[in-house]
This record gives sequence, structure tokens and C-alpha cells, in this order.
Amino acid sequence: MNCDDLNLALIGECVISPLPLDAREHLKSCKRCRELARTLIAPIPPDEPSRCDLNQIERRLSFDLRAVRPVLSNRYLFVAFGAIFVFAVSLNVHRLGALGVVAMSPLQISIVLGSLTISTCLMIYSLMHQMLPGSRHRVSPKLLPIAITISLVVMIAVLFQFEQERDFWVGARACLMTGMPIAFVTALPFWFVLRRGAILSPLVAGAATGLLTGLVGMSTLEIHCPNLDGWHILVSHLGVAVLSSIVGLGVGVSAEIAERRSTGETKGRAQRGN
Amino acid sequence: MPLALLESAVARPPSTELDHWMVRYQQADPEAPGVLVGGLSPALLQFFRRQVAIREMADDLLQETWLRIHRVRHTYRPGEPVLPWVYAIARRVGIDGYRRVRRINSRECVMEVLPDEAAPTETRNTSPEFDSLVAALPEGQREVITMMKVGGLSLEEVARATSSTVGAVKQKAHRAYEKLRKLLENQPANEWKGGVDELR
Repeated sequence: MNCDDLNLALIGECVISPLPLDAREHLKSCKRCRELARTLIAPIPPDEPSRCDLNQIERRLSFDLRAVRPVLSNRYLFVAFGAIFVFAVSLNVHRLGALGVVAMSPLQISIVLGSLTISTCLMIYSLMHQMLPGSRHRVSPKLLPIAITISLVVMIAVLFQFEQERDFWVGARACLMTGMPIAFVTALPFWFVLRRGAILSPLVAGAATGLLTGLVGMSTLEIHCPNLDGWHILVSHLGVAVLSSIVGLGVGVSAEIAERRSTGETKGRAQRGN
Repeated sequence: MPLALLESAVARPPSTELDHWMVRYQQADPEAPGVLVGGLSPALLQFFRRQVAIREMADDLLQETWLRIHRVRHTYRPGEPVLPWVYAIARRVGIDGYRRVRRINSRECVMEVLPDEAAPTETRNTSPEFDSLVAALPEGQREVITMMKVGGLSLEEVARATSSTVGAVKQKAHRAYEKLRKLLENQPANEWKGGVDELR
């Protein structure tokens, strides 16, 4: 066993777990590791909160104590988010028509819709866990929106041909003007589900919700728009998802600032009251 | 489990017991706030003490954490471990607190005349070696090591509390141990007198 292995043994479960036999053997011969282990297992001198403070906290919690209903299970949340997504896309495709599906080849249809479904499921999974503090994240919620955007760019680059269109911006503008309102309107029912959660990072959650609503717009456009130029799909279809995500990020920043102000005001009032 | 290692973390009731009391707290059991506040506050205070130097601020953060826990208690799902849930909220309160202090400090102007009597500043009454070493670590690594060492959280629990993956936490802990080794090497000789058995 070397020093790196000892690190893994110390990390293994937590620093207070018993060390395996070979790790203890290594400690006998390695002074650096011995010093590290000594520092990590040194007992922490007591630094208790004052009884008076604890009583005050307890009184404040007991004063406003009433039964609460825990947040719905993950299965219900997933179904709720999924149902909103499917309903919004179906409604808008019904309204606009499915010309894009007619223009695409079966391979393009299956890969495009498959990628969008997987991306949506991953975003729902991430948001569901962001609603509950202390949830297990298998993929970092900060990295997921970026990873999804990059994989969609790659998918578009591989599947579609890039051509020089004469009226590129006219078509792009039309799709953006169709997709963005869809994304904004869908944000409302998503917020309705999200509002019961304790969002610890409004910034990350805002960007994730923005991307999810943007995916509603993008999915609608992929099914509706018959323009198969790679640039058009990148700018005006994926653009809806990216722009929505940026708007969501902005909303998250505003929410964070508002929360900080309200906490400051509450604190100020409490201090004046004391 | 050898006693020497268990003594390292701040004492608290077993996790399963806390989970049970959390459910009762959601059901408005009047005994629950007292048990939870008494059981979790010492470790939470130690957690904040390693993030901020001033005791009063750590006390404030502790109070704020409990108020936020109370406000969002419906987001605890029965059957899930309570410690990552509590530490995730505490971590967020901590981040908001440091930002607030930074904002206030950036707006404060220097006084030419100091008050006659300076406000009492309290020094840390904790293990100086561990504290000074951990203070030298980057924020993310310090947070992981503090949660593991002070709160006695497992790798999985730290990952949950920091909204991160187990792999990312493992990497942070690994880097933190490497840095701690280097820092210990640069310190004056302080050889461990005890036997290896005591390090189990």
C-alpha cells in the first residue's frame, strides 16, 4: 500500500471508519501518512452552543409548529414534469402541424426525438433532486445543462447538412418567435410543481428549468419546422433552448438577490426587536 | 469500531434516531424540535466555526439554519437520511452568510478614531493544528473535510449535502489529503508519540 492507497482507505467510508489492516501497516512505515492520520483522528475539543441560544431556537420552532405534508415521491414528480412536457409539446404540435416529421428521414426522426427525450428525462431527474435538499445526484446539476447542450449540438452537426440559405435570418426569426413563447408559457406549470421544493441554488435551478422549458420549444419546432438546414436548426431550434436557459439563469439570479434582501431585512427586524 | 476514531467526530444521536425525530417534527410532535436542536446543533456549530472565525457569526448562522429548516421541513422525505438534508441547508445558509459579510465589509469605511473599548473578539477554542491546516485548504476541499471530520458524514452523505457526485467528493478529499500532507511536512517536527494501534 502507498500514500495514495491510504488516502482511499481514509476516504473509503468516512474519516472515522476503522482503517483496514494494510493501511495500518503502511502507517507504521510512512511518517507523512502517520502525521496526516494523527491530524484527522485528533478529537475535536467541545465548543457547545449556549443552552440559552438552543432554548431560544427551540421556542421559535415550537411557536409555529404545525403538521406538514412531505413533498410528493420522485415517481409522482417525474410523472408531473413529464406530463407537462408531453402535453405542452402535443398541444403546440396539434396547433402548428407536424411538417418537420414529414421532411425528416426515419433515422433522423428517431435520433432527434430520442435525444430530446433523453435530454428531457435527465433534466427532469436533475430538477426533481434539486427540489429536495440532500438528494443523491448521479450527474452534477451544474454540468448537466452544459453537457446536454453540447450533445445536442453534436447530434445536429452529425445528422443535418449545413447549407447557405438566402433568407436565413427571416426563417430563424420566425422559429425563434414561435419557440420562445412556447417555452415561456410552459415555465408556469413547471414553476407550479417546483414551488413546493426547497431550491437551495436558484441560479442552477433557474438555468435547469429554463433549459427544460426550452426543450419543450425545441421539440415542438423539430416536429413542426420542415427546414432541415443544420445552421437553421442550431440557431433557431437549439437557440430556443439556450435562450430559455439564459433567461432562467437571469430569473434565478434575481430570485437569489431577492432572497438575500429578504433575509437581511428579517435579520434586521429581529435585531431591532431584540 | 475503535473508540479513538469515534471520538474524532462531534457526538450526536444515531442517524436512524434523528430520521425518526424528523418525521415526528413534520407531524408537529412538540418534543421533536428540542431533540433535533439539541442533537444536531453542536456539530452544526462546529461546522460553521470552521468556515467563519467569529463565534457570534457562527451562532447567527446556526439560528438561521434552524429557521430555514423549519420553513422547508416538508422537503424532508421520510425514509431518507436526515444528515445530508440538514447539512445541505446549513451549507446554503453558510454561503449566504459569507456573501452577506463580504458585501457589508466591502461597503464599510475605515474609522479614523477607534472606539475606546474594542468589541471582544473571541478566539477559536478548537484544535489549533487541525483548524489552521484546514483553513489553508480551498473552500470546496475544506467543506468536504469538515463535513467528514466534524459531522462524521460518509462520502455518500457529503455528496448528497453538497449536491455533488460521490466521485467528485472523493477527488476533493484526495486532493485535500495531499495538500494536508504537504502542509504537515512544512510544519515544525511534531512526531506522533503514540502507537499505530491508536490510529485505527
